[in-house]
Amino acid sequence: MGVRPYLPAVLRLYEKDETRMPRLASAGRAIGLLVLLLSRYPLVKAQDQQALTATSNQLKSLTLEQLSEIQVTTPSKEPEKAFQTPAAIYVITSEDIRRSGVTSVPEVLRLAPGVEVSRIDSDKWAIGIRGFGSRLSRSVLVMIDGRTVYTPLFAGTYWEVEDTMLEDIDRIEVIRGPGGTIWGPNAVDGVINIITKPPTETHGTLASAGGGNVDQGFAAFRYGGGNDRGLDYRFYGKGYTYGPGYHPNGRNYDDWRGAQAGFRIQWSPSARDTFTLQGDAYHILAGESVSATTYAAPYQRIVDANADLSGGNVMGVWQRTLDNGGDLLLQVYYDRTNRWEPNLADYRNTFDVDFVQHLPAGARNRITWGLGARASHADDPVVVSGLQFLPYDRTDQLYTAFLQDEFSLVENRLALVAGTKLLRTNFTGFEFEPSVRLLYTPSDKETLWAAFTHAVRTPSDAEENFYLLGFTGSVVNGIPLLARFNANPNFAPELMNGWELGYRRILGKSISLDIAGFYNHYHDLFDEELTGPVFLEDDPPPEHLLLPAQFGNGLYGYTKGIEVAPEWRPVDRWRLRAAYSFLHMNIGKLPHSADLGTAPGIVGSSPQHEAWVQSSLDLTRKLQLDLTFRYVSALPGQAVPAYSTGDARFGWRLLPYLDLSLVGTNLFQPDHFEFGGDPEGLVGIRRSVYLKLTWTR
Amino acid sequence: MDQVNRRMGGTFDRSLRAAWILFAMLTVPVLPSAAQIRARLSEYDVKAAFLLNFTRFVTWPAAAFAGANSPFAICILGDDPFGSGFDQLVSGETVDGRKVTVERLKTPPQPKTCQILFIGDTDKDLPALLEGLGTGVLTVGEQPGFLRAGGIIKFDVEDRRVRFDINRRAAAHASLTLSARLLGVARKVVKE
Repeated sequence: MGVRPYLPAVLRLYEKDETRMPRLASAGRAIGLLVLLLSRYPLVKAQDQQALTATSNQLKSLTLEQLSEIQVTTPSKEPEKAFQTPAAIYVITSEDIRRSGVTSVPEVLRLAPGVEVSRIDSDKWAIGIRGFGSRLSRSVLVMIDGRTVYTPLFAGTYWEVEDTMLEDIDRIEVIRGPGGTIWGPNAVDGVINIITKPPTETHGTLASAGGGNVDQGFAAFRYGGGNDRGLDYRFYGKGYTYGPGYHPNGRNYDDWRGAQAGFRIQWSPSARDTFTLQGDAYHILAGESVSATTYAAPYQRIVDANADLSGGNVMGVWQRTLDNGGDLLLQVYYDRTNRWEPNLADYRNTFDVDFVQHLPAGARNRITWGLGARASHADDPVVVSGLQFLPYDRTDQLYTAFLQDEFSLVENRLALVAGTKLLRTNFTGFEFEPSVRLLYTPSDKETLWAAFTHAVRTPSDAEENFYLLGFTGSVVNGIPLLARFNANPNFAPELMNGWELGYRRILGKSISLDIAGFYNHYHDLFDEELTGPVFLEDDPPPEHLLLPAQFGNGLYGYTKGIEVAPEWRPVDRWRLRAAYSFLHMNIGKLPHSADLGTAPGIVGSSPQHEAWVQSSLDLTRKLQLDLTFRYVSALPGQAVPAYSTGDARFGWRLLPYLDLSLVGTNLFQPDHFEFGGDPEGLVGIRRSVYLKLTWTR
Repeated sequence: MDQVNRRMGGTFDRSLRAAWILFAMLTVPVLPSAAQIRARLSEYDVKAAFLLNFTRFVTWPAAAFAGANSPFAICILGDDPFGSGFDQLVSGETVDGRKVTVERLKTPPQPKTCQILFIGDTDKDLPALLEGLGTGVLTVGEQPGFLRAGGIIKFDVEDRRVRFDINRRAAAHASLTLSARLLGVARKVVKE
């Protein structure tokens, strides 16, 4: 949503800024002086001059016909398109990712306004959009290149395993607010769409390596190529080892390491058709501390061990451009995930097929329709007796159909988008996810939009097939008092009705503003209920006292909030961005609910205020300085106080193909808390400093 | 003894070679090969090359220039997406003995100062702007509706290749003669 986002960054550096200089008079003398100094600095050095000359000479020698056949790289048009989207969308570009200096996908998401990213410990995150931040983000749908990584096991996303080569990410589209009509179930509070570059954009070699005190060591390699007959490919590999968070007791269980490799091949036999085949495989050992509960003594113990996480996927996509201006997409994938933790195991095979077609219908309508089916088979063998899925193996199914029409009320000015998804899972009957959106664009520089959406979070194995035992700590006459969440086969979908209003504006040539507000009403929300008095149970043995409980649908309420994201580019090589989000949650229990205290926990686990300011400055053609300040208000539900911290990145282009960057994150304090979740209590997120070299050819 | 030496020497050679390769990889500025150039070119590098190339396939009337010695000016109006790479590209180039220069403009050019005018992202009213230019200016743009507004050549990126469409009537109106080869390479030739 930047101002003039189509300008390739590499060219921006060559640009002259004289035209914009006078504007700075009002922006403070010190800043003006700094910019003046920078703009007079010799920008092109001898070595780059050489490379430029070589390119120029080659280009000059080409004929008109040859020029017409050269394949060019074009900057993504997505941020521009996003400006006129009737949804609260924020596009994180590859340049944003590079300049943020982050080393993992969850950390990248801090760049999007209205997204709450909290790190629990070194290898776990709690992420929420517009509230409901939690370890697995159960109401946020996450996709990588169209492949859903949301797991029906506990409903949500295991953030630590969702990774790809960060340099090959084209963009991350973050949609705040419900997106169920297009993307399907569980896109209740938001959608995160990670999109990697097509292999046509990743020719050549990229190698990077670095290390520091927390991000101890990491390396990545990618090679891409292609021919002029429409075949392009790339493959990559990466590995990393990260240190633990700060533990006052020195347990340091959360260090982790992993390796991942993958490929993507694209074949375009004609201008009409594109076939893509891609896949990834990974293996991660992620240290964790978990509570393992058993019916036999010692009933409960804390185990520090490595979670053994591995998996892979392979996906095929066929895209065709139709003569009538429409297009169609057919996508098939298989995904395997293996998860072993000291207290549970999940081995899962997922098959998915999706079809989508865009059809222009007359001058005013553009129809999109689609069909999808997914089957996910899981084996969940028992690791400890206190945590069991029954049945141990089962197949979850999802069938979807959707239809949407974009109707132009006034050409290029006013449009209505209406549609619905129809879905069915093995946990639910038929559910509808309709939405109506209105888009008003009085000029190219102004957008006003409004939306109503109904969204559904489908039940998961964790609610319908899950038995979770806890030890209360009391033993009466040698008989332990245990509590257990029993499976609730009647768990209903969580439902949400969302009202949204948004406004975007480009002011002059250097300022843009994005404001979105929402009111979301929820019902049948998840709670933890007691279901009866304590009784003596002897199966499973040994004999124990049991307090029965289950997961229910006893909560309802609303959230409301506003997100503001301004951006100012005083000169082309200096970009200033900020974001502020306000959130108010009001969740309570229904009269009949015997909730044990879920509601205050949910409300207290998302920050009421979040803000960041970021400055990205090209000091010279070769030196970049990026500074970020972040503030997150207190999370009483997690006993986490408010914190402010800062990140900095210094980038230096040593040679035309060799970049050095020095990155520091969480710089304001040696460590700080962000979110709870580990049995020992809060883990400090440490100040991290690392050095990285990137070689591109 | 001989054998040991050879073995030692072999090891030494190998490590020396490895060090040398590493050194060469890190320090020698390698000129990009044609294939690499192809993969790395941005859309505007190619568009700049097109603009220079057009000078060979278009004939300007003598009245298009201020004087016999005035340069051949390629002007960019509005935002400049090309950068200094464009200056590099035209350095040393001539058209009929005239030195080619690149000019960046904030306001529409005076008559006879620009022979090619690239119109970037601009807030100005396009038809009025084009109408006011007079003859002898090859106007090039990329906004939707550029040809309809009276522009002569419009760039488009299709299937990752830079293509262009031509408005013949606008070219005639500007007293420019376009060669058959230029018309042949154009994706579309219209008379609007």
